[in-house]
Amino acid sequence: MAQDVKSSVEAAPRWAMIVDLDRCTGCQACVVACHAENNIPVVNEQQAAYGRWMHWIIVDRYWEGEYPNVKARFTPVMCQQCAQAPCEPVCPVFATYHNREGLNAQVYNRCIGTRFCGNACPYKVRAYNWFEPEFPSPLTEQLNPDVTVRSRGIMEKCTFCIQRIRRAELDAKAQGRQLADGEVQPACVQTCPPSALVFGDLNDPNSQVSQLARSHRSFRLLDELGTDPAVIYLKGGETNVPG
Amino acid sequence: MTGAGVLTGMSPTVRRVALEPFVRPPEEELPGRATWYASTCRQCPAGCGILVRVINGRARKIEGNPAHPLNRGKLCARGQAGLQVLYNPDRLQNAVRQSGGRGSRQFKPIQWTEAIDQLSSAFKSLGAPSRVAFLGGLMSDHLLTLVSGFLKALGAPPPVLFDLHTALEGRAEATDMARRWFGDSQAQGVPLPLYDIARAQVVFSFGANLLETWMSPVAQGRDYGLMRQGQAGGRGLLVQFEPRLSATAASADEWIPVKPGTEGLIALGLGRIIVEDNLGQVGSHSEHAHLYRNVSVTDVADASGVSVETLRRLANAFAAADHSVAIPGGYLAGLGNGSQTMDAVLALNVLMRRLGREGGVFLPHQVPAEPFASSASVSSFAQVTDLIERLKAGQVDILLIHGCNPLYELPQWTGIAEAIRRVPLVISFSSCVDETAVLADLVLPDHTYLEGWGYQVVSPGADRPAVSGQQPVVRPLYDTRATGDVMLALAARIGGQVAQALPWSDEVAFLEQNSAQLLGTSSGIYDAHTPAGFWSLWRQHGGWWTEKPLRDEPEAIGTPTGPLQVSPAVFAGDAQQHPFHLIPYPSLALSDGRGANLPWLQEMPDPMTTASWNTWVELNPATARSLQVDNNDVVKVVSPYGELQAPVVVYPGIRPDAVAIPIGQGHRDYGRFAQGRGSNPLALLAPPSEQARGSWLPWGATRVRIERTGRKQELARVESLDGAGREKLR
Repeated sequence: MAQDVKSSVEAAPRWAMIVDLDRCTGCQACVVACHAENNIPVVNEQQAAYGRWMHWIIVDRYWEGEYPNVKARFTPVMCQQCAQAPCEPVCPVFATYHNREGLNAQVYNRCIGTRFCGNACPYKVRAYNWFEPEFPSPLTEQLNPDVTVRSRGIMEKCTFCIQRIRRAELDAKAQGRQLADGEVQPACVQTCPPSALVFGDLNDPNSQVSQLARSHRSFRLLDELGTDPAVIYLKGGETNVPG
Repeated sequence: MTGAGVLTGMSPTVRRVALEPFVRPPEEELPGRATWYASTCRQCPAGCGILVRVINGRARKIEGNPAHPLNRGKLCARGQAGLQVLYNPDRLQNAVRQSGGRGSRQFKPIQWTEAIDQLSSAFKSLGAPSRVAFLGGLMSDHLLTLVSGFLKALGAPPPVLFDLHTALEGRAEATDMARRWFGDSQAQGVPLPLYDIARAQVVFSFGANLLETWMSPVAQGRDYGLMRQGQAGGRGLLVQFEPRLSATAASADEWIPVKPGTEGLIALGLGRIIVEDNLGQVGSHSEHAHLYRNVSVTDVADASGVSVETLRRLANAFAAADHSVAIPGGYLAGLGNGSQTMDAVLALNVLMRRLGREGGVFLPHQVPAEPFASSASVSSFAQVTDLIERLKAGQVDILLIHGCNPLYELPQWTGIAEAIRRVPLVISFSSCVDETAVLADLVLPDHTYLEGWGYQVVSPGADRPAVSGQQPVVRPLYDTRATGDVMLALAARIGGQVAQALPWSDEVAFLEQNSAQLLGTSSGIYDAHTPAGFWSLWRQHGGWWTEKPLRDEPEAIGTPTGPLQVSPAVFAGDAQQHPFHLIPYPSLALSDGRGANLPWLQEMPDPMTTASWNTWVELNPATARSLQVDNNDVVKVVSPYGELQAPVVVYPGIRPDAVAIPIGQGHRDYGRFAQGRGSNPLALLAPPSEQARGSWLPWGATRVRIERTGRKQELARVESLDGAGREKLR
């Protein structure tokens, strides 16, 4: 019996994403793909200027140096799906919790909108619905039926497209087989033209993410905080302008 | 649609709509299960293959088609936003006429039969066939073929093709360049060159924003990823030459902030150094030495502001690599000396024997069937200005406009608005009320691309001949009608030669017949025994392409026999009065403005400024300091031809003598998400100088000055300027 429990824990995947900064071109395809897949509302100019935009993934742009030896670098940032997530212990109603596959899950109908999690998140990747989302008809037809439309007062964030994970798992189970590496693709990973994003199971040592995670270029954002993120970045090339 | 509906898309019954109760579920439909349809993205001319996820008759998500040779399952932001073209709340729901006269914006629905009656009687009472004009933009190749056939049979001039997107990517100029270098006198058209970025070790991009909007950004983005990390030979090097650090330059290893208009000189300087020092492993350069006879490297350095040492270092890097490629980009086409500059850049590939070599320059192989032999090109700008002159002179009685919005996309000096007002009957096929539709008598809305049929020959971008097929993925939402069908109905009404030239019952019959021309082609990914079987496979795969990569080696038969020359670029406006070079650039989100009615794209942050929803003016930090302006200060940008106001973005990646403004906003019409928002920098543009002789739109050849207004306007930016982060409270 104990054997069974152990093996089932081992069998659980640890979903992880690789972000290869040497490939990322900042093209924003991931941002729009994420909006389309996850029914993310568009706010408006004024609310966006307040910082109330709802993107689950953004591409940070950092300037380095000064003209003419100036360089801009892109860093896509989404929920880091921390193993030791600062957002989880602060939620008074267990709306944000840790699931068996290492994902920070968000239960929308438990959320009461304290925004403690958004405060606690060192990556600032949680978005809060300040208003009821608006989808002027017939834009409602674009909504993905696999994803809840969140209402006012709810916190939301990147889920690693959990609906796609579940769909792939169910399909594999129905066909009586194991999930193959690369079978689950979040919307951002699927669309990324230069393939800067790779998704897979870190518990499978042969998966593409495991192999890339062992690269000498790999690092994690704010690793010193001990949050143990499941998003692993690969450093970009040495691209500064030679003097 | 509610309650009952037939969903088709793969089955030709889309032509005949039948209402059926749900007790007999529509074919291919399982409640809760998605059906995927292969089609083609029409958000830009690239022609990427898409798969659309359809659940219960609604399109829910667009993905790239993994089997498609161009984009290989990938898609850009604009492609992802295609659902909002289909489900846009400001779409026209039926054919309309302006009841209060043109410009009144009072649109009254009319029956399609009535609209076609009016159109056919106008054609029948036409004085001479030359009094018809068709202005097209981003059209499906099948529609272009139908329209061209219609006009030819009528005896009218061929369609004039112009849209701002292709003007900004320099498509017409690149076609001319390919013709000059690779074409012989018999060739009707030479396809656009392909640059093998994926296998290049060194890429020199001269103003090609190849990771943003230029040509085929998804395919180029994919190639870029491979160039960076996918090559056996190590990481490739990308050097970007342009006055403003674009998002592409941000991904480059080195950005060379070139003085505007001296890009071609730099290319000549690099070539001269390679010839002089006999660099590279390609043997003697004596064959091409004459091209660089008149070049002085020190003069190049003086004119361009790029030091001789830098030029030497770059020339060595370019020549030392086995696989290097130089790309003449769209920005060059906006300069007065554009064609000379593009020649100088392309010559570097000829010099280093990069034609037809891995990581070099190729020409696409033709699709082996007549209907797909010549891909749609664009007209030269001279043809556009000719058309405008004809309109102004009252030589046109019927003007048909499809797939472009000239009132927004052309600068005011062209007089396009006044020219259109002179035409007695103006028909727009726009699916919503844009600036041009406001001046039309009738708006006969075409289906959006997710509801309509078509195909497009992929050019350039794919490594093999490919035709992207477009098919409806949902039933048309509204009482819109395919423009192809309207033209066929019109032809039948007009009768005679026109009806004989266009004998098809509807456009699907035409498509079916054309696709069957590829039947029996052994090189394709599929074949069938019957045309019907072939047509069904065509729709299933989303087009046709060859199984194996197939590209042609260009022959530089048009290499100039004399020395290459790049004359100094002429800029409109006095350097004292107007000290800054204006660099308008296509917005990554909105492209040339056609994305401005899609909320996803409006709120998408610009990659470099992280701004959205508006227009801004990019200034070098030193320039901003000397003008005493900062972020969010509204400035007035004044050219000799116009002015606009917009907030400043202090931008470290631009020359101090230049200002950049994104194109895409500043719509007066075009729906709730677009109108009354920002400004259109085209208002600032000067007419072509003598140098350009009106052959292209010199969108990068105007000077401006900046004036403070004292006003402030906060731009919506994801980047937080005060470090307070998101969810800042007021």
